[in-house]
Amino acid sequence: MVSNSNINNVKTKTIGEIFSKDPKIICRNVDVFYGEKQAIKDVSIDIASREIISFIGPSGCGKSTFLRCLNRMNDTIDTCKVKGSISLDKEDIYDEKIDVVTLRAKIGMVFQKPNPFPKSIYENVAYGPKIHGLSSSKEELDFIVENSLKDSGLWEEVKDRLQSPGTGLSGGQQQRLCIARAIAVSPEIILMDEPCSALDPIATAKIEELINQLGKNYSIVIVTHSMQQAARISQRTAYFHLGELIEVGETKKIFTMPEDKQTEAYISGRIG
Amino acid sequence: MNKNNSKMLTADEASKIVASSVIRRRKKNARLKTYGRIAIGLAVSFLIFLFVSIFSKGIPGFFQYYVTLDVYLDRDRLDPKGDLSPESLYNGDARSIVLESLYKVIKPKGRKEKKAAKKIISSNADVRISKMVLDDPNILGKIIPITFAVDDDIDSFLRGYIKRETPSSERRINDKVIKFVDKLSAENKISYKFSDYILTGSASRSPEIAGIKGAFIGSMLTLAVCFIIAFPLGVATAVYLEEFAPKNKITEIIEVNINNLAAVPSVVFGILGLAIFIGIFGMPRSIPLLGGMVLALMTLPTIIISSRAAIRAVPPSIKDAAYGIGASKLQTIFHHVLPLAMPGMLTGTIIGMAQALGETAPLLMIGMVAFIVDIPGGVTDPGTVLPVQIFMWADFAERMFIQKTSSAIIVLLVFLILMNAAAVILRKRLERRW
Ligand SMILES: Nc1ncnc2c1ncn2[C@@H]1O[C@H](COP(=O)(O)OP(=O)(O)O)[C@@H](O)[C@H]1O
Ligand SMILES: [Mg+2]
Repeated sequence: MVSNSNINNVKTKTIGEIFSKDPKIICRNVDVFYGEKQAIKDVSIDIASREIISFIGPSGCGKSTFLRCLNRMNDTIDTCKVKGSISLDKEDIYDEKIDVVTLRAKIGMVFQKPNPFPKSIYENVAYGPKIHGLSSSKEELDFIVENSLKDSGLWEEVKDRLQSPGTGLSGGQQQRLCIARAIAVSPEIILMDEPCSALDPIATAKIEELINQLGKNYSIVIVTHSMQQAARISQRTAYFHLGELIEVGETKKIFTMPEDKQTEAYISGRIG
Repeated sequence: MNKNNSKMLTADEASKIVASSVIRRRKKNARLKTYGRIAIGLAVSFLIFLFVSIFSKGIPGFFQYYVTLDVYLDRDRLDPKGDLSPESLYNGDARSIVLESLYKVIKPKGRKEKKAAKKIISSNADVRISKMVLDDPNILGKIIPITFAVDDDIDSFLRGYIKRETPSSERRINDKVIKFVDKLSAENKISYKFSDYILTGSASRSPEIAGIKGAFIGSMLTLAVCFIIAFPLGVATAVYLEEFAPKNKITEIIEVNINNLAAVPSVVFGILGLAIFIGIFGMPRSIPLLGGMVLALMTLPTIIISSRAAIRAVPPSIKDAAYGIGASKLQTIFHHVLPLAMPGMLTGTIIGMAQALGETAPLLMIGMVAFIVDIPGGVTDPGTVLPVQIFMWADFAERMFIQKTSSAIIVLLVFLILMNAAAVILRKRLERRW
């Protein structure tokens, strides 16, 4: 548990407002190491309920690494060690009592490369609810699948071929299938790691629209290398550089009046 | 460009040099292609030579010569007790009934000629009659034409391996026998047809009735044991090493040792089996269970190595997807990794099994070379396997065993080809799921 008294009392070099009024996730003094190498240095930030926040920064600055700390995906990397505290609804997610399985059911993830399972469209979406026991009957499962596909804007395109392979869809459809798969377990937060970087502009536009829709019901953390995208879809933006969280704030403010010189250099295209 | 610094080539000069080098490169290309074709040509011609020689020798081994005789199936002499029991038939006088039918055709005069006539028909003739009577007792008391395999020397003579011109003293059959065979041929009593024995007979010292059924069943049982032990064990080991084992010195040593084990001569596994399974656990020799266990030891490294490669080939993005949705490690492995790795694992397993199928040396060590007439009914009945049967037949002196050896090799090859085909089909099936 992170007590309320000290969470807003943190020493940080980050410029801007790292705190939220209604925090869902609270990260304090997070360090991440790959073996000896430090990839994230003393990052503190809040992620609010139902906000869309984007992480931007040059390649290799640690955006993905930090994102993967939030649902403990870094556990799957042997060399990776996470220090500091991250809490979801004031509960430390790195506590021994926390089961990563339930954590990841609450915090869904969408990856850079669309990675549907080599199974049918239906099976892709139904897999999460099945393993978490979210449905007690075939009808319930059908309902979840249909709703998830509707929410991800894919239903109309695939409703006639639910049994055909998910890998047979186009790249953009695959990514929306992955989003459907993530929301099928009713998460509270969705993490997205450059979800559009492998897609064409039209598919990208569709996903962005979808993200805007989803933002009404979920907290969304999205890593992106496209500053326009960050500007279009997120309410807050966090700028990372060399493993440090340099500046965070209202997206509009970050893109128009960044306080930090490095942030300014990056958004004006001088670091990239 | 600076004229003094004349190192730089003009475009013209450069393109000339490039053009000449292109010719050189093309020649090199062509040469390499030729070498490749020669190599493939050589390999293919060896293969063709192998197949032609095996098939030309082996196909005749599936056929043999028979003599057809009208046999009077005398009820009292065949079934002395009159209860049609196998014992009664066994005590019957089938052999002399067959010989009498033969004498009616060739009419031998005197003791010496009768002795020669006895050599014509396989010693198995009485068994054949007993079987026929057991199958259908109604034939008793009738005169029925029955075909009997001829003795292997007669068979070899009819094939021309034993020559008429050879002096009688150097021939395995004397002039009297030849005279009788000629007579039978003249009366159209001799026929050449598909062997009743090669596929359904068991081991025998009489080559004309020897067959591979016992060895074939032995091979099946041994392979079944081998698969049941080696596949789950190999896959489990591979999964553990790939997904669970900590990356430390001990794991490394284990990995190196598994790789080395794959290169250990198979006879060593036989010695191991002899020492451990027979020596320490006191298991009986010559049984398919033991053979399968020894072959499992031998196949394990192959299965482990190929299974690990198959697991490693599963895209990490699929594992990420499973973990990301909240699947546990076991769920990720069983729902996603293993199904995707299965085709590769099966390929490796079938390659290992095919090796095991052709293996002789380790089975010799554990006594599967014994001369066993009975067809094994289970994994604990003594038996032998195809390659060992081939090995034994190749060692026998009788001419007819040479053909039978090649026939057995054909069966082994067909078996292997079927196994590989099954592997390919299975793999296609599993892969075509998407
Ligand atoms: N599995 C890993 N093992 C070791 N180092 C890694 C691993 N993943 C990322 N890194 C390193 O951590 C740093 C941050 O990487 P990453 O989080 O992927 O950056 P970004 O997503 O911002 O491009 C990089 O220097 C990268 O080389
Ligand atoms: Mg990244």
